[in-house]
Amino acid sequence: MVEETESPKTVVEEPPRPAAGVLGRSWLYAVLGWLVPGLGHLLLRKFDRAVVFFFSIVTMAGLGLAMGGKLYAPPFSAATGAFLTLLHVLSFLGDLGAGVIYFAAQLASLGGEYMGESLGDYGTVFFLCAGLLNLLIALDAHDIASGKKQ
Amino acid sequence: MRVAWLAAVVELNHFQAMTLFAFFTSLVFAFLSKPTGRERARYFIKVFLLFLLVGVGLGWLMFPFPR
Repeated sequence: MVEETESPKTVVEEPPRPAAGVLGRSWLYAVLGWLVPGLGHLLLRKFDRAVVFFFSIVTMAGLGLAMGGKLYAPPFSAATGAFLTLLHVLSFLGDLGAGVIYFAAQLASLGGEYMGESLGDYGTVFFLCAGLLNLLIALDAHDIASGKKQ
Repeated sequence: MRVAWLAAVVELNHFQAMTLFAFFTSLVFAFLSKPTGRERARYFIKVFLLFLLVGVGLGWLMFPFPR
């Protein structure tokens, strides 16, 4: 007969929660990192990451605009159907992730029209992915500032 | 409107555009997810090559179904 043995219980200690001030400051780094790619990491003295992130995001967004990519912005027409409208809203949120680059492009009236060629499609995806990657970068800055990551 | 001076420079074919996309995306992923230079380099090469491999593979799969 096999005796039932209890497996040793491991006690996992939860990491201490950051103070409210630290949490607020970490979101500030995230917002700054969203507005200007790499700025959050620069302020956190992660210089190598700041340079790579800034260079990558600005180049990707610039290439997207140069290829004639379309930038999504309100108002969203419901005439195209609910699914397409949802896609446009999500694309707008992704584009918005590029922060100040998106606002500068809008001010300069770039990306206002669909170019209708394959390179224009690539451009749209380049800018959209630059925005989405920048959101990840901003969240990374938040994690570093709040001590969840080094 | 298009950035005219850049548009003259940026005349890429599909493979070049895909390679540039893979390069920058892999670079950001490597710096986001790995802490040391050696690990980042290995991860970058792996993700970059996988991007290209999957891109070319999907292209071949879609070849019999043109628009």
